Amino acid sequence: MTDALVWVDDVDPDAAIAVAGSKMGRLADLYRAGVQVPQGFAITVDAYRRHCAESGLDARIDEVLAGADQEDVDAASARIRELFAATPMSDALTASIVEAYEELCLRCVDVNVPTAVRSSATGEDAADASFAGIFDTYLGVSGPQRVLDAIRACWGSLFTGRALAYRLRKGISHHDMPIAVGVIELIHARASGVAFSVHPVTGKPDRVVIETSWGWGEAIVQGLVDPDHVEVGKSDGRVLKYDVAHKKVVSAFDFADGRVTEIDMPAKLADRRVLDDEQIAAVTAAVTAIEQHYGYPVDVEWVIARHRRAGDPICIVQSRPVTVVATEAAPAAYDPVAVAQKYVFSGKGLPGR
Amino acid sequence: MGNVVPVDEFTGEWYPGYKPEHFDFPYWVDAPKPFQPGDENAFWFLDFHWSRGLTPLAATLWSADGYCWGTQSASEKLPLPPGRGITCRFAGTHLYGSPIPESDPREIGARANRLGTNLPHFLQNYRAIWEAGRDELEATWDYFQGVDFAAVPTADLGGLIQQGRRYHKRAMEIHFDVMYPMLVNFLGFYGACAELGIDTNLVGKFLQGEDTKIMELDRELYGLAVKARNAGLAQVFADHEPGDLRAALSAHGGSASQWLTDFDDFLAVYGHRSDATCDVGLPSWIEDNSNAFGNIKTFLLKEDDHDFDAAARNALEERDEAIEIARSGLTKEEQAVFDGGLAANQAANFPWWQDDHNFYIDLKVMLPLRRACQELARRVDADHKDDMLYLFWPEVLDVAAGKPYAGELKSLVADRRQYFDHWHGRRSAMPKVLGAVPESVEDPVLIEIFGINPGSLRAVQNPDAANQTTLTGVAAARGVATGIARVLQSSDELHRLAPGEILVCESTSPNWTPAFGKIAAAVCDGGGMLSHAAIVGREYGVPTVTAAGVATLAIGDGDEIEVDGTNGKVTILKRAADLAGA
Repeated sequence: MTDALVWVDDVDPDAAIAVAGSKMGRLADLYRAGVQVPQGFAITVDAYRRHCAESGLDARIDEVLAGADQEDVDAASARIRELFAATPMSDALTASIVEAYEELCLRCVDVNVPTAVRSSATGEDAADASFAGIFDTYLGVSGPQRVLDAIRACWGSLFTGRALAYRLRKGISHHDMPIAVGVIELIHARASGVAFSVHPVTGKPDRVVIETSWGWGEAIVQGLVDPDHVEVGKSDGRVLKYDVAHKKVVSAFDFADGRVTEIDMPAKLADRRVLDDEQIAAVTAAVTAIEQHYGYPVDVEWVIARHRRAGDPICIVQSRPVTVVATEAAPAAYDPVAVAQKYVFSGKGLPGR
Repeated sequence: MGNVVPVDEFTGEWYPGYKPEHFDFPYWVDAPKPFQPGDENAFWFLDFHWSRGLTPLAATLWSADGYCWGTQSASEKLPLPPGRGITCRFAGTHLYGSPIPESDPREIGARANRLGTNLPHFLQNYRAIWEAGRDELEATWDYFQGVDFAAVPTADLGGLIQQGRRYHKRAMEIHFDVMYPMLVNFLGFYGACAELGIDTNLVGKFLQGEDTKIMELDRELYGLAVKARNAGLAQVFADHEPGDLRAALSAHGGSASQWLTDFDDFLAVYGHRSDATCDVGLPSWIEDNSNAFGNIKTFLLKEDDHDFDAAARNALEERDEAIEIARSGLTKEEQAVFDGGLAANQAANFPWWQDDHNFYIDLKVMLPLRRACQELARRVDADHKDDMLYLFWPEVLDVAAGKPYAGELKSLVADRRQYFDHWHGRRSAMPKVLGAVPESVEDPVLIEIFGINPGSLRAVQNPDAANQTTLTGVAAARGVATGIARVLQSSDELHRLAPGEILVCESTSPNWTPAFGKIAAAVCDGGGMLSHAAIVGREYGVPTVTAAGVATLAIGDGDEIEVDGTNGKVTILKRAADLAGA
């Protein structure tokens, strides 16, 4: 029997993705590579499997799925997710999660430390982009009971309508792609964002592209806010471009509700430049180091903690391979014949006119 | 788009007495001729260089030796992969050009391979190639300077006329052999800059600020205006029309005598220039002083002197600033590419050449032929010294060979003068494009010199062009200015421009340059980033928009307009009629 829980800083790196899913597995991998990541633990794939088997969920899920087809995946999804919410964990698993959460509070020196509870599926966003980001994440989950509920909600998100439809179409069993769940310290974000080690649209490998806003990154990831856009030359770290956006929405921590939620951006912050040059350099250094570690282009989600001081590394909360590739290799030197053929004699009209 | 503008209206008759053999000249791909049925299958654009119209001799010699020899041979030699140069047709006295496409893919590929060898060779040897061509032409020019036209035996005049034509034809070979590769190099760099995300309005600025022979001429001319003011002659200039100024100054005596001596010294060096490109129909400034006097007259109307040194310094500062702005947004790898392109274009600087070469080629290469034709007119006792210019080439040679200039030939010349005047009056209503209008073009001359691009092609096809109140074009020289528009058909009307007014015309050439010392802004129908108006606008710091397509149609003489040379926008604020009523 394998462990139900593994810590980010203590999981066997070779087995990390298999036991903790790709999201948490990569976080563990980054930790080993020396990248600053939040503290946290994962409820393993095995724990999920055992929960489904021992609680009788598997049989009931199969019952729902047996009658479902492409047309009513949403109804099936809703029923399965209700089953997850209504089915309690075993006492042993509950006890280990509560104990781990208390350990996380101790490590963070906080009472009821707010966490991010993230689905970490196997296969998610590794090979198939269509799964990227469709499983649930809960930000600002605080206290043992809420953490337990959020974990079960994440398990249930393996059965969203989109995921069900996809598996039905491809003939994949949900048993073949079990899910892990991460419980990680919620970094108190002054600013956060995403960073790409290549241009996400053109694939140009000579630059880092950063998108950023105040507060947590959810509003950026979900496309709710128009973020500041920064481009940095990879070889010399020079800021090539900084477009300050009018940022209307911010993901902020709602203390009354105990979660991160989207509110109107305070007027005084909306048009203010988010990152200074030192912070841009820190984000660039992190994403470049991660690209080098993996040997392929990546995008990352990062956070600048409120207590971060200049010179400290920034915190990476997620990393993924980037699938975009440059359509053509950038020329290394100026070739008057090549540019003439490309821009003057292409039959498409001169660009920029 | 597939829009076809019919050419029928312009087919059929041409100049009285015209016969197809009058156009029996060698050419490379397609010969010039009057418009013919079937020509609507190709794309034709109204050539802004000759807005006055062309006399029979000017029309046939330029079209045959300039376009159908010069551009067509140069585009074979470089070669242009998908293009074979420019051919032309005449609608009355007005010339329309057309790019000749190469459509065989195998041929295009073979030509591209040759370009791959020849363009780098040209760029590596640009200075030697251009200077050799220029020096060759200057040597021929010196030869003609040494000829005493009045003393040449009549029997030898025909030979002199032949030599004059060969000088022009050779000049056109050199001209386009240099112009095409320089343009290709520049446009490739322009495209590369656009792809690098550089604001393309900056690209022309990267290469500005280098002194040219034409700018030197302008400074000297301006210096004469300053001298006239200091000598207390401003009132004499104010009181007389340009054509009467020499007599008035002679009569004035005193300081005016010294000034006239200085003026003639200026003409001896810089006066070998006509007021249009390669037009045998136009006089040099020495033959006719009125344009030089007219420019000085309008300079004197201006309160403040144009500070050439400050403008030159500004142009250089603006250049360096533009390069810095462009480079700062590029990665190190991109900077290496940009720097390579910039260096190639600084070495073979097309904007500089585009201005400088006019002094050696465009403005003077027709002058020896013109003088020989005038000498022939004198020998045959013609009514007017320009009569020979209304003959076709074989007719001129016949007269030079002893055919009597009388009777039928003389009356043909009278008819042809009428024909010229008739079509001169139709110029402003001539369609900007004819035939099958494409969405974009690939010939570098069309793109850059004529400013033909998808936007301008759409603009000239707008049936409601005359009622437009906003126009867009190429942002050629930055700045914003508001003023009264003067819509000029040719540089003959430059005297109508008062200081602070805005020049609106089809396009400008070097003879328009002095106007930039006094105008508030300029708008042209044609011309690209490197057209004459764009270059001079930048050098003089005059907001300029080129390739506006239909400015001369949409803007009325006397309208109040705003020219935004930073963004390439022109707005008609008030119509002249409304201003008058206010």
